[in-house]
Amino acid sequence: MTDTPATQSRLSLVNRLLYGNVDREAKGRARVGLAIVAFACIYTVICGRLVYLASTSDSQTARRGGGDIIATARPDILDRNGEVLATDVRMPSLFGEPRRIIDVDEAVELLTATVPDLNANELRERLSSKRGFVWLKREITKEQQRQIHRLGIPGIGFRSENKRVYPNGSEVSHLIGHVNIDNQGIAGIEKWLDGRGLADLHSLGFANDRLQKPVELAVDLRVQHALRSELMAAKTKYKAKAAAGLITDVRTGEIVSMVSVPDYDPNDPREALDKERINRLTTGVFEMGSTFKALTVAMALDSGKVSLGSSFDARNSLRYGRFQINDFHAQRRILSVPEIFTYSSNIGTARMALLLGVDYHKAFLKKMGQLDRLRTEIPESAEPIVPKRWGELNTVTIAFGHGLSVAPLQAVMGISALMNGGKLIPPTFLKRTEAEANELAKQVVTPATSDRMRYLMRLNAEKGSARKADVEGYYVGGKTGTAEKVVGGRYSKTKLLTSFTAVLPADKPRYLILIMLDEPQPLPETHGYATSGWNAVPVAGLVIGRVAPLLGVAPRFDLPPADRLILAATSSTR
Amino acid sequence: MIIRIIHFCVIVAMVAAATYVYDIKFESTMQAERLAKVRSDIRRERDAVAALRAEWAALNAPSRLEALAKRHLPLKTTDARQFDQLAGLPERPKPPLFANEPDPIGALLSIEEEKDIPTGSTGRQGAQ
Repeated sequence: MTDTPATQSRLSLVNRLLYGNVDREAKGRARVGLAIVAFACIYTVICGRLVYLASTSDSQTARRGGGDIIATARPDILDRNGEVLATDVRMPSLFGEPRRIIDVDEAVELLTATVPDLNANELRERLSSKRGFVWLKREITKEQQRQIHRLGIPGIGFRSENKRVYPNGSEVSHLIGHVNIDNQGIAGIEKWLDGRGLADLHSLGFANDRLQKPVELAVDLRVQHALRSELMAAKTKYKAKAAAGLITDVRTGEIVSMVSVPDYDPNDPREALDKERINRLTTGVFEMGSTFKALTVAMALDSGKVSLGSSFDARNSLRYGRFQINDFHAQRRILSVPEIFTYSSNIGTARMALLLGVDYHKAFLKKMGQLDRLRTEIPESAEPIVPKRWGELNTVTIAFGHGLSVAPLQAVMGISALMNGGKLIPPTFLKRTEAEANELAKQVVTPATSDRMRYLMRLNAEKGSARKADVEGYYVGGKTGTAEKVVGGRYSKTKLLTSFTAVLPADKPRYLILIMLDEPQPLPETHGYATSGWNAVPVAGLVIGRVAPLLGVAPRFDLPPADRLILAATSSTR
Repeated sequence: MIIRIIHFCVIVAMVAAATYVYDIKFESTMQAERLAKVRSDIRRERDAVAALRAEWAALNAPSRLEALAKRHLPLKTTDARQFDQLAGLPERPKPPLFANEPDPIGALLSIEEEKDIPTGSTGRQGAQ
């Protein structure tokens, strides 16, 4: 080690002052100076430490405080009016520490006497094991906790855990999903919550207090209940396998209500595994039948090649190879576009699609989001079944809703875009304002096309197959759809999927309602018919009558017919 | 001598400082304990509130209310004709004159001569 002369001389000065034979006064001053420096250092360290503790102690104590909770605390889920759909309730759970138990037999006897649904053999096995900690029963009642506490068995204890409860039971099951025993979301919005970072928060130990902000959904609990009870009644009345309904706000894409019965109770999620109880609106894909004609007609009107005055030949059935396309309500004459829509002519819509060609048709459906998987907040979604080779025959059948299977929610999104002025808005389960929706929206058809489509929908309720849903005062418009289900590779004449898409009010659209019945049966009062006009449409009428006041749609009476109210307004403004 | 006095003062000051520090330390421990207790109380209260809210939601569930209403009330589904706009309501009648007087009729009679003052029963016609 080589020192520079300067440091060497300083060192020697210090040495001399402390130990050398210099005068005492100088030595004393040096010693005091050293002591001052040493104490100053120590106090600086103490001050620094104090500042550090003052700034960090809060988070440390908070983390220590939540130590007795195992299951994650989850934010509450509220409906659009602030009603509780899902919340956490603290429940005690019973555990044992086998190493500290003195008399296993006595403990088993006492516990099974207090909690009758404990299995004695299993309990004995668990308590005799060599482990330090075993769960005996998750979620016991407060009363049971008190009784067991009074028994005073050593090595038995409680831990309070968060249990998710759904006060409305099955009412919103498919929408919010459910959680597992450890309070982790495994379906619906609950799963989405976990995916949004709740799981990470939990693993860091932060998600154990109740201070998380509640999540507000777009769903309206009252509307949800009204829709569900009408669908349950319809399912029983028409002896259908399943019934589903969806109500969306066409201006924002919010899903105000979504029901698919049979459903399950999220408080008892074992039922959810049953295949019959799937959510048919997002997880199932269906050929939507005539409902799709709305898309075909809109495509034709939007292309500019077809106007409301155009007419198509529906005199003879359309032959295509070995296939023959017929009309259900055959008119055997040349039909105008409004007639094609109200008579739901397969031949007419097929000719419309053929006029524009396969590629145009395909591009239009792609633009309308009907060919890609639709993803929303909830994880359940299904890929549409698109024909691999899309030829003219496919275009012919897809024009009237066969040969392309989509999730009903997807079809609703497409038809909403035809109603709301041509804006395709991705549907959401969360609250959304109109401004936010407009940012996401994509203009897919012109506003003029949208006006014409609303005219056609209203016309259908005035003169066509949707008359039974024309609830007085709400100016309903709608399109029916009856699709034959494929059974063993063939279209079945008796197994039908009927649907009805209604818009209300048709002149200033606010809500779109889809009602779907899976295999409804003909009844004496429906004169042996099982098509949409005899079941889905009247159900929609009942639903609209109950739901419209809840949604705040003001009834208006004595409105002029569609050609004067909707079409006249369009031509005067444009 | 002066040094002794200084030493004495310093010792007294040290003892005083130690007492003061002990007092503060004791106080802060007390406060921390109280804080912990209040925190746990808050948590317990919040859990109780959550349990009550869940119970309220279950009791207030539309399905339960509908079943009860069906059983006990003679109500029917509202018809669209039963709604009306606020603008459709008739005009509110004008408040009678001298409503604040102890003897409104007497007060009205006392100005009987002035015929152009509207009365509660004749309403607008009298005013014109």
